Order: sequence, then structure tokens, then C-alpha cells
Amino acid sequence: MALNLIIGNKNYSSWSMRPWIGLKVAGIPFDEEVISLYDEGSRAKILAHSPAGKVPILIDGDVRVWESLAILEYLAERFSGFGFWPADLTARAHARAISTEMHAGFVPFRSECSMNFWRPPAKRTLSAEAQANIARVQEIWTEARATYGAGGPFLFGKFSAADAMYAPVVQRFIAYDIDVSAPVKAYMQAMTALPAWKEWRRAALSEPWVIPTFEYDWPEVKRLPAEAA
Amino acid sequence: MKLVIGNKNYSSWSFRPWFAMKVLGIPFEEILIPFGSPVGNADFKAQVGRYSPAGLVPVLVDGDIHVWETLAIFEYLSEKFPEKQLWPADPRARAEARVIASEMHAGFLPLRTECPVNFRRPVRTRALSAAAQANVARLEAIWNGCVARYGGPFLFGKFCAADAMFAPGVARMRTYGIKVGPETLAYMEAMMALPAWDQWCGAALKETWIVAEDEVDWPTVLTA
Repeated sequence: MALNLIIGNKNYSSWSMRPWIGLKVAGIPFDEEVISLYDEGSRAKILAHSPAGKVPILIDGDVRVWESLAILEYLAERFSGFGFWPADLTARAHARAISTEMHAGFVPFRSECSMNFWRPPAKRTLSAEAQANIARVQEIWTEARATYGAGGPFLFGKFSAADAMYAPVVQRFIAYDIDVSAPVKAYMQAMTALPAWKEWRRAALSEPWVIPTFEYDWPEVKRLPAEAA
Repeated sequence: MKLVIGNKNYSSWSFRPWFAMKVLGIPFEEILIPFGSPVGNADFKAQVGRYSPAGLVPVLVDGDIHVWETLAIFEYLSEKFPEKQLWPADPRARAEARVIASEMHAGFLPLRTECPVNFRRPVRTRALSAAAQANVARLEAIWNGCVARYGGPFLFGKFCAADAMFAPGVARMRTYGIKVGPETLAYMEAMMALPAWDQWCGAALKETWIVAEDEVDWPTVLTA
């Protein structure tokens, strides 16, 4: 039976993007169900799949896994051939550390720059905390690229779960026109060049659902036309 | 192997890997870097920064490998000591254990903010927000669901990393006198009966550093 991934809006749901892009890049077939968040009845639909009431949720037969990091660990075991984590022990430990740091961290940055694919890139005034988060993310990417990235354009050379964890941050950097160093820019370009990235973005830009909380120019909704993808 | 931790009285994150390694019998040397006052440690970030670029405790140091973030430490230990079974052996139980560990890792903020870990504080009830009460209900559902399905006394039968993730949750429930059901209480008692619990708690009570933000009765500091 095919895997089923329950996700939220592609335009806004950063957590959903993580396992989705991981599965796509790994070439693992799966069905997807999009539940538009904050819509009437969306909570009940999510709760029907997981008692935590959060997307994404991976359904594999009678196994249900939620929380992006747990999903990625599950996929790493289930599809060990792909190598979701780097093969080298030190690199793998580092990949897990930075993935976990992403999982619970960077809250000021995340709340001030929510993921939004259709937002035309434009700067926002950010708090000192959010700026510190941005500096730390750039440090993480630059260090991983410099130390482990020789074999390819991603954090650990070849695409890994760590890249999946940081994919939404790449989009935040784009949407809020964050000033970045040349190596960071090169990494972001490698991510946005992925066919999976383009597929997600195309779908995001054609979604009809607008969530005011994530639209900082509300009541105006600035959005790139679907054709821009 | 070395484990870099913060104060035992307050550092919930430090408690998790320390507790797991003690319960599972993984030997390590402990390096404690205190934060807090009046002794204070303005140098905390710099001292931790020697071990981890994120500047956070805990950090596991194994030769030239430095692992920070509790969950990443557990995954590292799980690979290094497969015989210790940091995660349950059954793939399905293992997936579930990782799910609830991740849920703990990034969640329960209202409860964590309103009820900071503070072993020294005598048990006193505290009024909780609706959001924190919802966190308590979710914790009870997770614990009781696992114990019922896997047979207890720990979440997946024998003690594993998921229990370690919730150890500070047990301490919070106790310290703030949170009303819980009998099944929840039985799980808490199983956790607190582990010798490693007393060992950590005993050391915490001897500490003199005070962190005002974690003292909910501030400027009063309640001590047993």
C-alpha cells in the first residue's frame, strides 16, 4: 500500500513541506491529502488522523507518524537505501543536531517571517532576536557546507533530511529578502533548483486559500501570479 | 564520553540525556556549567560555546564528535550503544516513541513556561492557564495511552529515550501539585522510583544558584 502524507496548505505550511520534499527528492511514491488549515472543520479532519492535531502526518499501513523529525527518522529506517542521513558518523550526528535545532528553535524568526510562497520578495523590519536567528542559520549552513559539503551542493553534499528541515527557511529568506553571504546564496539556489521545490512552489502559488495571520500586509494580499511559477 | 549540562535544579534539557544514560548504564563524565545568580555566570555562553556552536546545553562530547540538542544526542547514543535500546526494538513502537519525543521537544510551551523545572521548590499548587491545562491533558493522554498499550511500567514497557524526554514533565507535575489521574500518578511514581531520579534530585537540592525567571514565586524563593 502506498504511503499517504497528510499536509496543510503548500503556500503556508512549513512543517508540511519538510517530509514532502524529503519524499520527493528520495523518489519515494506517496499519495497526498491537503487540508487547508484554519478552515472550518480542518481541525476535526486532522484529529481524525492524529491525536496531536497537527500536520504533517505520514500514514504507512496501520502506522501513523507525525512530527516532521519523527517522520524523517521513520523514512530513514524504512527506506535505508536512500540515505536520508549522511553515511559518515560525525556528519550524521551533526546533521541530526542541526535538524533538531531547527525543529524547536528560531521561534522569533519563524513568527516574524512566516513561510509564504506567493509573497513578492520584500524586506520587513525584524527584531534583534530574529536577526540573531538569521545569523545562526547562516552560520549553520556555511559551516555544514564548508565541513561536509564537498560531495554536492547541499548541506552534507548530497541532499539529506537536514536540507528538508531547512527548506522552509530557504523560502523565508527569499520572501523577506534577507541579506545573505555568497555561500548561503549558492546553497539556496541549489535548493530552489530541485524539481521537487518547483513542483511544491507551483502548487503553492495556485492555492486559493488565504490565511490573514500569515499575510503581513493584510487586508491586502500581495501575491505573485500563479504563472510566475 | 562527556556530557555538558547546566544546573540540575533548573535545566530540564540537561536532565533528559543525563537521566537516560544513568538509567541505561552508559558511563560518562559530567561537566556542569551553571547559569544563574547570585553567584551568576556571565560567562555561560562562552563556556558552553567551547563545546557547542549553538551555545546551548546539553552537549555530548565523544572524542572529536560534539552533539547538541537532546533528541540528536539520543539518536547518537542509540546508534553507538544499540544493545542499550534507547528506542524500542519494535519498528512500530519505535516510530511512536520518536513521535511523542518530538512532540515533547517542540511542544508544551505554556506548561513549560508556567511550570519551570525547579526541584528545590516545595510542592505547591499553582493556577494554570487553559493552554497549560490542555498541555497537561495531552501529557496524561500520551502517557496513559502508551502504558495501557505497551503494558508499563514505562511508556514502552522498559525504560527508553521517550521516558527520558518526559522526565522533566513528571517533575513539573509533581512540583506544581498538578491534579492527575491514578494511572498518571502510577507512571510518575515508576519514574521517581528510579535510583537515577534521586541521584539527580539530591544533587539539585544541594545547588545554591538561583535563576529568578524560573522562580515562579519570585522575589520569594521557596525551598524545602
